[in-house]
Amino acid sequence: MNARRFLLAPLLAAWLVASPATAQTSEQNRFYIQQMIEQAAANDSHGVTSTQRVLEQSPKPTPIDPTRARAALQRGQAALERSELEAALSAFQQAGQTDPSNTEAFNYLGLVYRKLDRLAEAESALQQALALEPTRAVAWFQLAQVYGLQRDARRALGALANTYRFAQNPMRAEEILRNIAENEAADTLRNAALATLRLYRLPAEAVLVPPLPANPGIAPLNIPPGPVRSRANRPSP
Amino acid sequence: MKPRLATLALAMLLASTRLTGAAGQYETIDYYVQQMIVQGDANDAAGVETFREQLENLGRPEAGDPVKARPFQQQGLEQLTRDSPKEALAAFRQAFIADPANPEIAGQLGQTYLRLRRFKEAERLSVYALSLAPTQSATWLVLGEVYGQTGDPLRAGGALANAYRFAKDPPQLAEQLRQLAAANSPEALRTGAQKALQLGPSAANLKPPLPPTAAPATDPDPSPQAGIPAPAGTPAAEKTAGTSSVLGALRRRLETLANPAEVPAPAAESSLAQAPSTDDPGQRIYRRSIPLTCLIVTFRNGKTDNLGSGLLVSADGLVITNNHVIDKADNLAVRCGERESAASVRKRSKEPDLALLATSLKRGESFVLNETYNQGLIGRDVFVIGNPYGLEGTFSTGVISGLREIDGVRYIQISAPISPGNSGGPVILRDGTVIGIAAMGLKMGQNLNFAIASAEVIASGLFDPARMMSRPLGRDQ
Repeated sequence: MNARRFLLAPLLAAWLVASPATAQTSEQNRFYIQQMIEQAAANDSHGVTSTQRVLEQSPKPTPIDPTRARAALQRGQAALERSELEAALSAFQQAGQTDPSNTEAFNYLGLVYRKLDRLAEAESALQQALALEPTRAVAWFQLAQVYGLQRDARRALGALANTYRFAQNPMRAEEILRNIAENEAADTLRNAALATLRLYRLPAEAVLVPPLPANPGIAPLNIPPGPVRSRANRPSP
Repeated sequence: MKPRLATLALAMLLASTRLTGAAGQYETIDYYVQQMIVQGDANDAAGVETFREQLENLGRPEAGDPVKARPFQQQGLEQLTRDSPKEALAAFRQAFIADPANPEIAGQLGQTYLRLRRFKEAERLSVYALSLAPTQSATWLVLGEVYGQTGDPLRAGGALANAYRFAKDPPQLAEQLRQLAAANSPEALRTGAQKALQLGPSAANLKPPLPPTAAPATDPDPSPQAGIPAPAGTPAAEKTAGTSSVLGALRRRLETLANPAEVPAPAAESSLAQAPSTDDPGQRIYRRSIPLTCLIVTFRNGKTDNLGSGLLVSADGLVITNNHVIDKADNLAVRCGERESAASVRKRSKEPDLALLATSLKRGESFVLNETYNQGLIGRDVFVIGNPYGLEGTFSTGVISGLREIDGVRYIQISAPISPGNSGGPVILRDGTVIGIAAMGLKMGQNLNFAIASAEVIASGLFDPARMMSRPLGRDQ
């Protein structure tokens, strides 16, 4: 009994210390991610690495119920495959709440928010994912797409630059960037991909006539047309 | 023997020093590939083998999704057969993105870049493909051609020597090298191929047996052009010549660009020639007009701003559109048929709403403006091509509904539907001549649309009508 009390005491103390700091840490993490974006856009390799290390050393949240989180994650992935975005969103939110250290949950959450055009929330979720794992290329790529939709050229460039920097297979990432630079209909992301290739002195060809949107507002007649979707096929790097 | 070992040891030391630095993945594999080229050029079989082993000992990229990649790869090969390298590039890219660990796909992507004369990309993809399969002869051949095309005879020679060294069918490879060494190749490529031919027999003799398990991938196709068919329509002799047939096709295309009068048939018309003949006037007009109808994209502050339509009106690339299409543009780009060009404004006027653009799209023909403007036009069929809302090449039909003069400008009222993006496009009669330039519509009402009469375009002095070049609208054109 005494031993049990002995174990519980430090846990309680840790929780009490960590709780008030969570919001502050989250803000700090976002600041560091923005730093990484700006440093990458400025081709400041050392800066990116230093900030990445700071992020990696920052305290990470403790999983509450990883088993439940895993189940929610699987439910979310299944819903996403069926294009049931609201159900996927709910599942990924639950995964994130029950295991705030689960990078995958926040990455998927960012993806679903982006698909739902809830861009501010998508950005926030992806920043959480990157705070947990600052070298996760897929999350950087998603973030670049969010900034592309927000027409934030500088941040789209920085996020794409980090996508390339942390890509497991740089040649594949390079080809994805070329694909976007040549085939993406949305100017911001296309120009950011071209700028990223040039930043890393990789061969790139600027398009003369930019690609037209594949679906310029075409929708069933009883549904108001949604935002124009780009046609570049953008697999994750 | 000892000095050679010492050189190798030094190279290995340098290599390991380099690897401990901040060199990226590509720089590392490029280093080994370049070493293999140097050793190949020096006909040093042991040196080639040493660096081949080094390459094979590097970490492999994570396996991709071969099931997803296969249909794209197949599509790429089909597009190459149709001599459509741009479409092949799109397909091979998707295949590569799906499965970047497949050396054949990486090599095919590299070769497609070579066909598009994008040499830097071709080099990078080939080097990468060689890191996956250092004995893939086809990729060495592509790399040798890249260096030959970019004026580097030494590296061309080394890479081609390695192509010969690793060829599954040395006599066939020798034949390909002889074709590359022919007088019509660039000098560096010729020199490199000759050097490889000189080294060839000894290189082939020195070729050591490949360890059965060490090689990560072997050349699955004995043909150095593994899986890449020659473009359709090339002579049979060139089909067997592999890469030289590609070069031959490229060369022919360059020659025709330099001398448009000898253009056998541009891409859009080639497909036309293969299509079954038809009496349908709409189809005839569409096929004839689509390569002469242009998409106009404007840029402002570095971003896409507006798009519209236009029409080629001279053999030297003059394009007419509406002034309101290009009004606020910083820069302009134009695509007519398959070809693209930057454009500059030659002349413009607010009334009538017209602009003349200069492009580099030189063709043997253009639209012809029809100066007729009288009541006899009413009721005649018209055909409209344009890019409404970016739906490129949209074709619609209607009739001439009336003749109107608005603010002193003569218009033709048409019932053919037009939308934003059609502005500046041609309104065409059954004989293929252009009777007007689509300009505006009445928002209230239905199909009440207006085109600036061609008579007005000619009267405006925007350009010299004598520059128009056309051929008669025949039955199957």
